[in-house]
Amino acid sequence: MIEMERISKVYRMGEVRLEALKEISLRIEAAEFISIMGPSGSGKSTLLNIIGCLDTPSGGSYFLEEKNVAGLGFDELSTVRNRKIGFVFQNFNLLPYATTYENIELPMLFNGRSGKRRRERVRELLEMVGLVEWQHHRPSELSGGQQQRVAIARALANDPSLILADEPTGNLDSKTGEEIMGLFVKLQGQGRTILMVTHDTHIASYSQRTIQLLDGRIV
Amino acid sequence: MILTFFRNLIRDLRRQPLRTSLTLSGVGWGTFAVVILLAFGSAVSRQNLKTFRGVGQGFVIAFPASTTVTYRGLPKGRLVRLTPEQVLLAGQKIPGIKRTSFEFTATRAIRYRREDVLNTVRGVTVGYGDIRNIIAGEGRYLNDADVSQKRRVCVLGDTVTENLFHEEKAVGRTVFIEGLPFTVVGVMKKKIQTSNFSGQRDEHCAFIPWTTYSALFGDKYIGSLIFQPANPADSKRTIRLMREELGKLAGFSPDDNDALFVWDWTEFEKSFSIFFLAFNVFLGVIGAFTLLVGGVGVASIMLVVVEERTKEIGIKLAVGAKRRHILWQFFTESLAIVLLGGGLGFLFAALVLKALPVEKIEEFVGIPLLNPTVGVATILILLTIGIISGLMPARRAASTNPIEALRK
Repeated sequence: MIEMERISKVYRMGEVRLEALKEISLRIEAAEFISIMGPSGSGKSTLLNIIGCLDTPSGGSYFLEEKNVAGLGFDELSTVRNRKIGFVFQNFNLLPYATTYENIELPMLFNGRSGKRRRERVRELLEMVGLVEWQHHRPSELSGGQQQRVAIARALANDPSLILADEPTGNLDSKTGEEIMGLFVKLQGQGRTILMVTHDTHIASYSQRTIQLLDGRIV
Repeated sequence: MILTFFRNLIRDLRRQPLRTSLTLSGVGWGTFAVVILLAFGSAVSRQNLKTFRGVGQGFVIAFPASTTVTYRGLPKGRLVRLTPEQVLLAGQKIPGIKRTSFEFTATRAIRYRREDVLNTVRGVTVGYGDIRNIIAGEGRYLNDADVSQKRRVCVLGDTVTENLFHEEKAVGRTVFIEGLPFTVVGVMKKKIQTSNFSGQRDEHCAFIPWTTYSALFGDKYIGSLIFQPANPADSKRTIRLMREELGKLAGFSPDDNDALFVWDWTEFEKSFSIFFLAFNVFLGVIGAFTLLVGGVGVASIMLVVVEERTKEIGIKLAVGAKRRHILWQFFTESLAIVLLGGGLGFLFAALVLKALPVEKIEEFVGIPLLNPTVGVATILILLTIGIISGLMPARRAASTNPIEALRK
């Protein structure tokens, strides 16, 4: 699923060189559920951004489903994100003025799916996350757990094989967090690969494997 | 998809009603200015051209004067005297001349019952009316029989008719010119004339057959001649040929420019048209600048909007929007604001133009209209400004870095 070879990321701030990632090599199989842990500044987010094709590495090679994505341009990376990757964020990142329905539909607006197919897919996802009655509400009218379920439904809109979650339970109470984790386990059961950044060892226990990062290296 | 676009657009615009209305009013005001300026500008030029043509259309006037160079043994300083026959003959001989005419002119007493006036009386040909735009509103203009039979008939200007007849009908009545009875056969249709030559404006004049004039008042030599080149652009050549022909007949050198004092109205008309074209371009540019200010308003507001919606852009990029999706979103939004504001300004301008007291201003500025030229010019200016003011914020939006945007 994911093959990373000696991936590095260097930030230059004037004279200062900041090495966020130092020659990271990583192999993740399809349908794995993996947690990424580590203290602040250890490079978790940078790694997740590179895996999520939001950022490009300074060096090394990155194959996502046998496709070399390290050298792709901005719009090509957009296409990869659109088709293969679903994001779930700590603060949900929903469009505040859009309804549940519209938020879930959003990723499908960028790949030319017909209106009929979009409607069908949104309906499926609403049922899956149990928010059919909430489809015309805006995020501000939903609870945190409901918002995160909207975000998960949105992440699944284009049926991606890879789900990236950055502290998905960070803003939720523990009971709701458990519910969300239940959803993740279900997604893994569907054959999706899940990569989750978390601080919480209890949450991490839902995954099968944990990658520990420290100072830009895997330990 | 189009429906979604408009729904999102309206939602975006309604999210900040005050800001939206200010932006819209900026563009609306600019459009209003463009439309009003162009409508008035084209009306003023139309009106001026019309009143300018009140004196006649595409013609040349020549006044016989005196020679300043010797010619075939004739001394200089001789008065140039032209007879009607010479003028008509020259007009026939020169190719490219459509009509030739002339006039005898003097101020004479005209009387009807107890009303006495002193006005310009012109002895003219039948073709004179066509060149000078003298059209009978009532009755008829002079005809060939009037001229060949030296009839005592006259066509009166509309104002002199009013002065003499007041409410009465003039056609068929008899007026006395220098005590001699003339039958009124026609009254000139009112025309707007701002320029004239030798004597009063046509509304004050009486026109009689030149043969009658010559027989009654004894004039042998014409006061001035006028002719119409078939093609106004050809006026220089026909003037030269006229000098040559008349020079041969009346004895003056074709190079003696003072022998015949020539006014080329086709030249005036040309420079007049150019002046008003420049005038309208000038007004258009002023309007466009007003609109540009509105456009700058849209651009800066959209830059703020882009800044505010960085997060939204980040989210869209994360879920797979390409640069062009973002570019298009903000570009169309700016363009829609410009076009919406433009539409409102256009509508407002149309209402104002409709509400204008046309009768009161027509004489000075004509009738300002929303003609297709004004419409097309406004739309072109609006589109240009919309595109310029939309492109910059849209490009800014499209260059957003998704990682930084999501961090906000």
